[in-house]
Amino acid sequence: VTASKGAGQGSRRTLEMESVWGLGGLVLLRDSVEWEGRSLLKALVKKSALCGEQVHILGCEVSEDEFREGFDSSINSRLVYHDLFRDPFNWSQAGEALPGGPLGALRALCRRTEPGPVTIALDSLSWLLLHLPCTTLCQALCALSQQHSPLGGSPPVEPVRVLGLLHMELHGPGPMGALSSLAQTEVTLSGTAGQALAHILCQRPRQHPTHQTQCFSILPDFSLDLQEGPLLESQPHPDPHIPPVEPTTHLTFNLNLSKKEREAKDSLTLPFQFSSEKQQALLRPGPSQATSNIFYEPDVYDDLDQEDPDDDLDV
Amino acid sequence: MAAAATCGTSAGNKGCTAAAAAAAGGKNNVTSFQRKGPRASVPDSGCARLVSIAGTRPSVRNGQLLVSTGLPALDQLLGGGLAVGTVLLIEEDKYNIYSSLLFKYFLAEGVINGHTLLVASAKEDPADILQELPAPLLDDNCKKDFDEDVGNHKTPESNIKMKIAWRYQLLPKMEPGPVSSSRFGHYYDLSKRMPQELIETSKWHGFFFPEKLSPTLNIEPCSLTHGYIKLLQFIQNVIYEEGFDGSNPQKKQKNILRIGIQNLGSPLWGDDICCTENCDNSHSLTKFLYVLRGLLRTSLSACIITMPTHLIQNKAIIARVTNLSDTVVGLESFIGSERETNPLYKDYHGLIHIRQIPRLNNLIYDVSDVKDLAFKLKRKLFTIECITKLTFYGTQGQKYLLSGHLQRNFAINNNHYFRRLHTLKKIY
Repeated sequence: VTASKGAGQGSRRTLEMESVWGLGGLVLLRDSVEWEGRSLLKALVKKSALCGEQVHILGCEVSEDEFREGFDSSINSRLVYHDLFRDPFNWSQAGEALPGGPLGALRALCRRTEPGPVTIALDSLSWLLLHLPCTTLCQALCALSQQHSPLGGSPPVEPVRVLGLLHMELHGPGPMGALSSLAQTEVTLSGTAGQALAHILCQRPRQHPTHQTQCFSILPDFSLDLQEGPLLESQPHPDPHIPPVEPTTHLTFNLNLSKKEREAKDSLTLPFQFSSEKQQALLRPGPSQATSNIFYEPDVYDDLDQEDPDDDLDV
Repeated sequence: MAAAATCGTSAGNKGCTAAAAAAAGGKNNVTSFQRKGPRASVPDSGCARLVSIAGTRPSVRNGQLLVSTGLPALDQLLGGGLAVGTVLLIEEDKYNIYSSLLFKYFLAEGVINGHTLLVASAKEDPADILQELPAPLLDDNCKKDFDEDVGNHKTPESNIKMKIAWRYQLLPKMEPGPVSSSRFGHYYDLSKRMPQELIETSKWHGFFFPEKLSPTLNIEPCSLTHGYIKLLQFIQNVIYEEGFDGSNPQKKQKNILRIGIQNLGSPLWGDDICCTENCDNSHSLTKFLYVLRGLLRTSLSACIITMPTHLIQNKAIIARVTNLSDTVVGLESFIGSERETNPLYKDYHGLIHIRQIPRLNNLIYDVSDVKDLAFKLKRKLFTIECITKLTFYGTQGQKYLLSGHLQRNFAINNNHYFRRLHTLKKIY
């Protein structure tokens, strides 16, 4: 039973990953010093190449040979590589470098007109953030991930997927927040002792964001292996040191009445309610109610001077 | 504001009275004073006291012309509605789910009332935004839908007639049910889209910033970000050409222009206040709001702006922006925060903070007494409610101490009455 349940969970999770994958838009892969993300980027690039999509790669941080290492020739032939690493400022006049620098390269990617689904991998977004103003980069990314058809009519059916590798430690909260608000999916990588963990925050338009955690590993040929792991469809866990707030404890009045108590409460005559018994009592003054008595025991602090203080006044 | 309307009408009035005086002067030569009254013979832009534009009503407090925000509960919290000529700023929640709903409600209300719309966005095409407006709840089936949505959440205690605090039952409820023939403030069904024919008959102008941005532009350094300059010019053109500011007064029926600007201040508009703390153009957004408010004050228009204030790095800018807007409403959703698991908030999806309400031609604010407001997104409706549990339980500590002593000290025992009263004062 457990084996089939595990298999069911695994297939459910792969289905979720597929639906996340099919969403398109901007996918941020946030890595850190502890766990690098380029291997995941290459695995996703390989996956889309195997699906028959066009793949464009804007390489800025590593050389083309290093990026293509590990891919077999069929995949390598499908990748269209735009190299910004060798000559980012176009100093060599050879004319091979991309005109317009990084911004020109991004805008050229926006303007490509071949039909069909396409994946664009940006390696890395951190490099682009450091070389371009943040607002320009955000505008270019938005234009890239929302490819409108030249006719300007219906939205494109095939998704455009933009994978961006972002190194979390390099940037402050401002650019990170700005890019997160643009992204459809955010994958934060972490891991312990050989096991990689991806926290996926997926924001479908006009729906609540969903958060899931996925264990995975990358095989040497850059295939992605999704694994069983702790399934945390989380609500965030409350801090264990702080007990959950339960406001009905420590009250000095009783909120939960038993049935008998409720009946007793309902049958109680309230003081201001003018019931018939009160009316009778008032109409027939009893013997003890001729005068009303006040019993007063003076306190230590009370001043019981019988003299009228106004007597001193010369009025 | 209504000032523009009354200027128009008073100019018309003077013309009418002068003409009538000339006519009467010919007749009996006694006096040129004429009583201003409604004249049926004068054309429409003439002598009516208050111009009756569809979808507006004067405020019960000071006669200010108000339009509905599309959400009657929000109208009630803002003192009847949004004043014509003012800006409603919505501070977005973290994932921009609920603020975009309020934005759509505002535009949908404009479509229903026949107002002209101006939609500006840097992220989505305005045509797409208009396709997603919620459908209005029609009179015959709206009461049924409303009750079925509300009725599921009625707790058993609320049905009991109150015996002690019976006066509270006479208080008006936070969200009145849909009135069948209400002309101000309509209800919308979020599960359905607005019918296509209603959108097509409405008049709207769209401003999609990426289309206006030409890639080979030399952006000369200027105090206002390029996107903001373009947007202001666009708004000014629309106001002038369509006559919302009183130019071309005799030609057409007066109407309201509803302006909606989405995600103002985000990097997609070219403004970097969300990216860095010390930005070059930190005054760009505030200057934009200043000029926009000047445009609005001199025309018959109302504006809604959603702004991602949670991304703005410099908190001083948020304070300046709040001061420069008229009405400011902040949304805080519970998604992803620890409040999601708090049992106090389990029925709600987030908190709504009314941060500022303007004092227009008035010395006092029209603030509602209730401060703990939360919103909930049901299947069809977006509702705003007061968190009643907070008033029951109170805060920890101090209040419980007080209530405990109150219970003990007011035991009705005439002998020790004054002594106990004294001890209560000492504890205070």
